[in-house]
Amino acid sequence: MFEARLTQGGLLKKLLDAVKDLVTDGNFDCSTTGFGLQAMDTSHVSLVSMMLRSDGFDHYRCDRNISMGMNLANMAKMLKCANDKDIVTMKAEDQGDTITFMFESENQERISDFELKLMDIDSEQLGIPDTEYTATVRMPSSEFQRICKDLASIGDTVLISVTKDGVKFSTSGDIGSANITIRQSTSADKPEDNTLIDMQEPVALTFALRYLNSFAKATPLSPTVTLSMSKELPVVVEYRISDIGHISFYLAPKIEDEEMDDNE
Amino acid sequence: MKRLRKAEAEDAPLKEAAAASALEDDLEEGAAAAAEPEEAPEVAGAGAGALEARADAAELAAVHGGAGTDPIEDSDEEGAAAPPQAIAAPRKAKGKAMAAPKPAKVKATGLAAGQKKAAAAKGKGRAAAGSPAPAAVKDELLIEGVAGGQASEDEGSPDAGDAAEGEEAGVSAAKAKPLKKAILTYPGDKAPAVKVEGVGTGAVAAAALHEDFNLDALATWAPGKPVPFAFLAATFEEISSESKRHAITRLLTNAIRAILATTPGDLLPAIYLCVNQVAPSHAGTELGIGDAILVKALAEATGRARDKVQHEYSESGDLGVVAFNARATQRTMFPLPPLMVASVFSTFREIARTEGTKSQEKKIKLITKLLVASKGIEPGYIMRALQGKLRIGLAEQTVLAALAQAVLLERGSKSESSNRDGSLAGRLQAAEQAVKLAYSQCPSYDLLLPALLAHPIMEVNEHVAFQPGVPVKPMLAKATTGITEVLDKFAGTDFTVEYKYDGERAQVHVLEDGRVAIYSRNSEDNTKKYPDIAASVPRLLQPGVRSVVLDCEAVAFDREEGKILPFQVLSTRARKDVKVADIKVQVCLFAFDCLYLDGRVLLQRPLTERRSALYSAVSEQPGELLFATAKTSADVEELGLFLNESVAAGTEGLIVKTLDSTYEPSRRSAHWLKLKKDYLEGVGDTFDVAVIGAWLGKGKRTGGYGSFLLAVYEPGEEELQTISKIGTGFSEEQLVQLSEQLKALVIPAPKPYYRYGETLVPDVWFDAKVVWEVKAADLSISPVHRAAAGLVDPTKGISIRFPRLVRVRDDKAAEDATSAEQVAEMYRKQVSTRTYKEVAEDY
Repeated sequence: MFEARLTQGGLLKKLLDAVKDLVTDGNFDCSTTGFGLQAMDTSHVSLVSMMLRSDGFDHYRCDRNISMGMNLANMAKMLKCANDKDIVTMKAEDQGDTITFMFESENQERISDFELKLMDIDSEQLGIPDTEYTATVRMPSSEFQRICKDLASIGDTVLISVTKDGVKFSTSGDIGSANITIRQSTSADKPEDNTLIDMQEPVALTFALRYLNSFAKATPLSPTVTLSMSKELPVVVEYRISDIGHISFYLAPKIEDEEMDDNE
Repeated sequence: MKRLRKAEAEDAPLKEAAAASALEDDLEEGAAAAAEPEEAPEVAGAGAGALEARADAAELAAVHGGAGTDPIEDSDEEGAAAPPQAIAAPRKAKGKAMAAPKPAKVKATGLAAGQKKAAAAKGKGRAAAGSPAPAAVKDELLIEGVAGGQASEDEGSPDAGDAAEGEEAGVSAAKAKPLKKAILTYPGDKAPAVKVEGVGTGAVAAAALHEDFNLDALATWAPGKPVPFAFLAATFEEISSESKRHAITRLLTNAIRAILATTPGDLLPAIYLCVNQVAPSHAGTELGIGDAILVKALAEATGRARDKVQHEYSESGDLGVVAFNARATQRTMFPLPPLMVASVFSTFREIARTEGTKSQEKKIKLITKLLVASKGIEPGYIMRALQGKLRIGLAEQTVLAALAQAVLLERGSKSESSNRDGSLAGRLQAAEQAVKLAYSQCPSYDLLLPALLAHPIMEVNEHVAFQPGVPVKPMLAKATTGITEVLDKFAGTDFTVEYKYDGERAQVHVLEDGRVAIYSRNSEDNTKKYPDIAASVPRLLQPGVRSVVLDCEAVAFDREEGKILPFQVLSTRARKDVKVADIKVQVCLFAFDCLYLDGRVLLQRPLTERRSALYSAVSEQPGELLFATAKTSADVEELGLFLNESVAAGTEGLIVKTLDSTYEPSRRSAHWLKLKKDYLEGVGDTFDVAVIGAWLGKGKRTGGYGSFLLAVYEPGEEELQTISKIGTGFSEEQLVQLSEQLKALVIPAPKPYYRYGETLVPDVWFDAKVVWEVKAADLSISPVHRAAAGLVDPTKGISIRFPRLVRVRDDKAAEDATSAEQVAEMYRKQVSTRTYKEVAEDY
């Protein structure tokens, strides 16, 4: 038996909005620790890792670990039917082939049940190695979203370079090129408006903007975003969701022309 | 180009090697031609078959071989449509080469092209030419790299042809070293020069090379382990940069040997991948996935926007190249397990079989999965294979040859597979013929391969035979220019003459269990297209007949009038899932051959015997099944009369067959000749015409001219009057050459004495200085062309139909062109001599 009740029903909606364009199907894993999802996009270029800790729910019960395969677009269709302020409860039998979403309105006057058919998805266990990143940037999530959106109108890829002074996003395309630099700042009124850079050594990596823009759909979940990078490794774009967990996106870098010549 | 020349100049050894190898290649090619005199016609047949030579133009193309200009015949083996192209090539000259890799000019470009800096490749190339054999494999790729890249860069310039040649020399230079030893030592000390009957020295030399086969160098996988797809893709890539048939065969033979020696179970999928099929053609399971699906899958797999992929595709024209380039720039999260030959093939088969609702999404998912796991050049060949166009210049006949050689060398006894007395070439050729024969009679690798692996290769024909339900490619007839030619060719043999019906070839199989299947010329299952035939044939079987295979022509037929209708009527018939009740166009089968009757395979029996089998197997029923009208005569007059009769009866003309000939599947055989109405007396004449304008070429003719406006001369008025537009019958090479010559003659506006139709204005006008001799099928009154206007018809001119270039008349000026009066005369002669004219107008 799995049962989890979340007062902030809108949170689930937002989560689904952030991943449903990236991943078509995924296995949601429920354990005593929490409710999570790890999945790769079809091109195996990016990976989503999401975790809602059990202590973040109002009520959480998970008798045994279960894995529920869901089509994310269909799941999003159902969650769309909930109001942001609804209380959402997810329920599933251990051996069942459905999951139930129950939405209760704030004043308890409206109660709805949606039952989603589960599916068998064979997914590889994705071992994400714990890596010490050589550069970490924490910045306002809305700023990151804006940069990605603006640059995508110029080019396909973005070169993200981190130095101790700031982080630079550059792109170029048919019509020209663009550079946006965000400097380290600690003076803003609200701490989440600051940009903090923690760097052992400078790093510069190129990524497909298409994915970053997809990641940025998680912006409503958190006021800040953290980018963690190391040479030649996937970047981690992490949104911390207060009091309950996080959603992290991993994106493999593009191969630079220079490297390619060396490799082949 | 420049760099390549420089490299050669600096590097004497390279040059020498190139020269030496060029010599060898000549030898090889000459010998090949000598060894297999039958090869060329067969090839032409295959090519024409591929084009489904329905169009009269195509028929003509095959006929006028004398013009020597037809792409079908010029092309090496694979047919004109798909010149070989390596995947990796265009990456170098970023954008530039990508923009227009012109298949016709740069025949083959190597793997490494564009991945290496020219300087590095040059240095390595030098090393390759001077160093001993083992080092060569990698290095030869580098040399190709330089040349390939250069050729691409020079695209569009007149030098491009030279570059391609240079490249070939470079390739040969690198390859010459390992080969050289075998060839040079061969006559003296290594093996005695045994002259095998019918085997050329090239084949003998090639056979000697098989001693150099080194399994360990090829097989990167352990025996019994699945064969990696990368191995096959690398073989494809090598084949694509090779133009000599012997060399291509050897590359593939070695690859097949490696598979046989390690994991023979993977041979079937590997062979299917080589011939780019997923099932025998009669099974109707085909790749040839639509571009839209492939672009979507590629966008998905590489994480790029669909319109970008589409854009790159329209720029380079090769999804394989787009896929190769795209994949190479994006890492994945985790390394994926490498693709295997067997799994790629089974996924292909699954993709081809996916149908019904959501089939598109399912296909995209499967393709994406393949692409994501693919590395290096693999995605390129996956894309091309899915499109159904491998484009590496690998003909099915070559695959069969390589298969036969590999099986003999790997599975044959020691004495069979060794070349100690120099007789290996003869045995290889015999094996080839055995396998080709087996496949032509039973075109199914599912049946052929197990037999090849289980039995000695020379016994393959005892285990693989024609069977009802597995259609063979039909036997085809060769074109002739007239009755006299037929009589010349068949002098001293007994022959018979049949009407050549103008419909669709239909091979009707009646199986023991009562099932009926109808197969097209390309072995496609047409049973659903002709449910009426399928229903009527069992009724027409003679008593006691249980199974039979008939070769027929399905012809549109007016049952009330009892007459044959033209092909155009047949082509209006629905193609799929026809319901008998809805049929508007009735079809009559005209049966002319019988391949199988009640357990007896008749392919090897003479025509007389097959014909009597045919007459004993089914009975005629007007409007449903008739025997082809036939006549046996050797008299010119009588044949001429019969030809006229055949034309009057609404057929295309006659087929002349020798009575003792066997049925040769898939061959355009010299035992069957066709005599078409187009070659009736009076139309075979040639015209000398001035070239006065041209239309710009499209597709692969981009950059040159695609078709030309032709005119005859009216001496009285001193005018050039248009007579036709010509757009076929040139080899691509010739077209380029002609275009170059004519470009110098472009004038801004037509000369005042050009007479042309307002609706037929060419893109460019020429000063009329070039005269071509063309052959045409027909003359007709034309509302557009102006030739002889006023002489036959008060206002309209005369045009010639299906003109084909015979040769350029350097010795003639525009004033020497055929005169308008001559044209009018020819037209009058045609009208009076031809009875079919009225018949034709009835249509």
